[in-house]
Amino acid sequence: MKQVKSLAQEARIPYGTWGASYFPAWQSSPLAEVNIGQFAGEAMARILSKRKVSTSHLDYLMIGSTVPWHFKFWNATVVANCMGRRIPGFHVEQACATGLQTVVLAAMQVQSGASEAVGVLTFDRTSDSPASVFPERRAYRRTEVISDVWDNFGFDPSTEHAMITSAGNVARKHKIERKEIDELTAYRYQQYFEGKEKGFLDKVAMPLEILNVQGKSMGIINEDVGVRKISLDSLRAMRDLDTCVTSGTQTHAADGMATLLVTTADKAKEISTKPEINISFVAKTEVRVLPSSMPEAPALAVKKLLIQTGLTMDDMVVVKDHNPFAVNDAVFSKVMNYDWKKMNNNGSPLVWGHPQGPTLTRVIIEALEEAVELGGGYVLVFGCAAGDVGIASIFKVN
Amino acid sequence: MGKTIRKSTMEALGLGTVSAIFNNGKLPVSLEEMVDKVFGDKNNRGAMVISGAGGIVGAGKVMQFASRLMDYNVPIIALDLPGAPDGIAKQYKGLQASFGADGANNIMKNIIKLNYDGQTLPQSLKQYNPKFLLEAIPERLELKKAHYALFKKEYPEIHIWSVTSGFPSKELGVGIAHPAFPHEINKVFEIVEDSTSAQTHLLWAMGLIPMQVSDDWSFVLDVFFCGLLQASIQFCNRTNTPYWKADKYIRQILGPNPFRAHDVIGAKGANFLTWSCLYHLGKEYGALFEPTGELTERKDSGQNWYPANHFRPLVNWQLDEEESEELKSIVYGALIQMTTIMLHEKRTDLSTMTAIGELCAQFTNGIPAFIRKIGSQQALEYVNKYHQLVPKAAQTTWYPETLQNLNTPEWQQLYVNAEHDGTHGFITISRESYNYDVNEELNRAIDWLHSEGIKKVVLTSDFHFSTQMVGADTTEFFVAVNDSHIGEKISSDWSKTARRFYHEFETSIGFVNGKRCMGGMLELMMHCQYLIAPDYVKFAMPEVTLPVIPGMEGCHWVLRKTNTDNHSKMLEMLLHGQQINARQALGFLVDSSGTMNDCLAMTKNILENGDTALPKRKIIENAIPHIASEIEKIKWSENPQILSAQKEIAGCVIASCSATADEALQIQAKVSAQFMSGQLFRKGKIGIEYDKFSKN
Repeated sequence: MKQVKSLAQEARIPYGTWGASYFPAWQSSPLAEVNIGQFAGEAMARILSKRKVSTSHLDYLMIGSTVPWHFKFWNATVVANCMGRRIPGFHVEQACATGLQTVVLAAMQVQSGASEAVGVLTFDRTSDSPASVFPERRAYRRTEVISDVWDNFGFDPSTEHAMITSAGNVARKHKIERKEIDELTAYRYQQYFEGKEKGFLDKVAMPLEILNVQGKSMGIINEDVGVRKISLDSLRAMRDLDTCVTSGTQTHAADGMATLLVTTADKAKEISTKPEINISFVAKTEVRVLPSSMPEAPALAVKKLLIQTGLTMDDMVVVKDHNPFAVNDAVFSKVMNYDWKKMNNNGSPLVWGHPQGPTLTRVIIEALEEAVELGGGYVLVFGCAAGDVGIASIFKVN
Repeated sequence: MGKTIRKSTMEALGLGTVSAIFNNGKLPVSLEEMVDKVFGDKNNRGAMVISGAGGIVGAGKVMQFASRLMDYNVPIIALDLPGAPDGIAKQYKGLQASFGADGANNIMKNIIKLNYDGQTLPQSLKQYNPKFLLEAIPERLELKKAHYALFKKEYPEIHIWSVTSGFPSKELGVGIAHPAFPHEINKVFEIVEDSTSAQTHLLWAMGLIPMQVSDDWSFVLDVFFCGLLQASIQFCNRTNTPYWKADKYIRQILGPNPFRAHDVIGAKGANFLTWSCLYHLGKEYGALFEPTGELTERKDSGQNWYPANHFRPLVNWQLDEEESEELKSIVYGALIQMTTIMLHEKRTDLSTMTAIGELCAQFTNGIPAFIRKIGSQQALEYVNKYHQLVPKAAQTTWYPETLQNLNTPEWQQLYVNAEHDGTHGFITISRESYNYDVNEELNRAIDWLHSEGIKKVVLTSDFHFSTQMVGADTTEFFVAVNDSHIGEKISSDWSKTARRFYHEFETSIGFVNGKRCMGGMLELMMHCQYLIAPDYVKFAMPEVTLPVIPGMEGCHWVLRKTNTDNHSKMLEMLLHGQQINARQALGFLVDSSGTMNDCLAMTKNILENGDTALPKRKIIENAIPHIASEIEKIKWSENPQILSAQKEIAGCVIASCSATADEALQIQAKVSAQFMSGQLFRKGKIGIEYDKFSKN
């Protein structure tokens, strides 16, 4: 393995001290009805409990979410309370990049010496959306009311285009064909269900029972509810919403949380379920591309990151991304000359959904688990974010 | 020559034995006598002062003493700082509920509220002639000592007790009467004093429950309850289990909800008291007791343990087998370790320790009873496992050898004692409700009397811990809800024990000395050849209201002893569940009533003269005819749920009365057990309690 200087030499991700809820699609689960911040805090405590990690080890909490939730003003402190600890922390928000950005910031918190063990807790509820009311003197209505999730997806104020338009733009620019997109999507579903059948998901996601206010069960969320096998034929039959974008070749709204810990090397050894595994941070970068070209940004971010580190795609043992559009992966493949079949084993957001805040956290967890299965190596995780941003990071698993 | 299986707890109070009560024909002390002794005779009556009277403890004790001393013209002085919150007025509603508006007003009339500045006592106090100070001011040692000095200076003869929850008497320089929550109704006081005082006898005569304990940091109750909270926090800390959920599991394995209890009492005060107790114990005994950071945080903030309403829990938390074992190891291990320390120090006897756990800490079974049930080896294993999980607890010395011999009478007879004077035996029960342990101990006590050649016996409560006989411990039946065979076995075993009193003695007398006798306990007592109770004792078979079906032969036993004219009275009791007093029950349920002294005298007379003193009523061994037609005459309830329960009980009465006495035991046990697997049971009070208890 090539040696590269780490961006946060003191920071580690203790193996196994992570987990996520399943991500139920749309309003198909009780999660569509709960305070997602509270849920995330309580679920984190439960997940860590199952991983045999006491939350008493944590001295800081970084939460990542993008959709407003009740009591959000109180930031990480209220979520920490729901987790059962009165520790400080703050809130990170960068649209779909939130999950990765929060993990990197946690590494910097440890690197700076400010913390010994930082909890990263990302969550969102995109299946439903609060409505925000803004006094807006420049608007003819004087007051704007927007549905936080869907109105923002539908209108980038910098470009005046919808998110979906950027996928069409990039597909046209890179001359991507619908046939490839359908095949890629079918392959991603196949990867997910292969991973699920071999039990890979059990290492990542944990069944959680949700209670109503009377303390009675509203059900157990024990799968990515709403994710069903899909055939290539049915993908082909779907109508274009824009170039190479159909309802089947883009992700869907979902709810959920994902958590992992970032600690010092010593603490990682103390609390990891397999202390012999060493997971460190290598590098991270971000780019912003031309207006309304978001799906192209991750590829360019990765290109920049490889130059920055001196590593190549051949050095990567696991490659995994946040792919809200199948177009993302096709463009990445073309730009980086990398076979899209080699990436996103065991699943990706295109298939298991897009709760936004926790999306890239789950991608990281899945990527690290896969790397451990494969015996270690460099792990490339990347994705796009609102505003035509691409983010990419490399981890090293020894 | 008198002999006992183990020492009676009354003896520790200097009140003699139970057999002495019957032989002397009177109680060892009377309330009149003790009031005169403590407060002076009625022409020169002094007052009781309760300082810190506005607080939770003080106000509760004001209520307790005022209501009991009202008839004796003892002024109750409620002393507090001018700005102290008025905890006394808050008690008025409770008083009204217990005594009615007139009774509540009369009690309140006798409470004199006085303010003081903490430095000097009010001049007006003098006119009341203070004789007895019960101090309930904040838990600060120097403050308390200054307070006593103030009183001693003005009233050198005054007797002072502190209600402190932590400081030993040797630190305070006064005696201690440490009460249990809820203070207005809990009768238990842990007493620390050099020799038993008149004040302790006064408490006993008032119907309260003083218990002698040694002079150590903290009290038995506090070690148990604070220790339980400590261990529970340690478990939550290790496993991230939320406090509300840990509470639910702890309730299942032990009885109390330690976290909710703190919130209900008032988190700010309760957290401080628990912290203070553990802090001092920690200083004295080391790491086992040192308060956790979580408790210290809540002591400082006063924050509740349970989440606020707007954060009612969302994610359920089922403990898996490994986690459940961990919970047991931590909670049981900690409590067992703490118990060995108290046993080593001889803080009190095993029966008292058991009673404190049950009456005050809400344990389903007191810790000694629990240790006896699991055995020494398992108990030691729990402690060792606890030390593996919470290593710092092992730094505190403990005494495994105190658990080595559980076969001594002290360990074997925690709830049931037996004494005899060479001719007459006395079996006493110190538990208010009947359970497996009581049943086993009763059998051992009967066997012991047989082995001693005793043929005449009195079955009674212990004149100390058990101030009433409330019935069967319904939690014992939870195991039978899903398996009626278990329920049937429990019912028939208990019935067989009860029958031993009818069949195995030449004379057996059930003597009820508490204020009521109901349900399963009444079924036990009715098996004695005679049932005697003072007029004020209330009897009831409340099963129909719960609903359950009496399982210890309540549906047929008395009917077999009573002439047909009186059947309707017993049927009314069974099918309507109303209370009647001993005088009303005379002739069909009760054989003799009157004043306490009348009853004691009659008991002695029967023991000495048998049938000559009072004819014995024998049971009819064959089927009792016409019972179905007698039931038809009973007025049925208009409440559909009660009506259904009435029909079920009536069915059991008919079935068991239509059989021989021999057959009836099993019939009733079976019907009673099967009822618990039905919907009607599950919709009732105990069924709902079972669901709450068993579901996670």
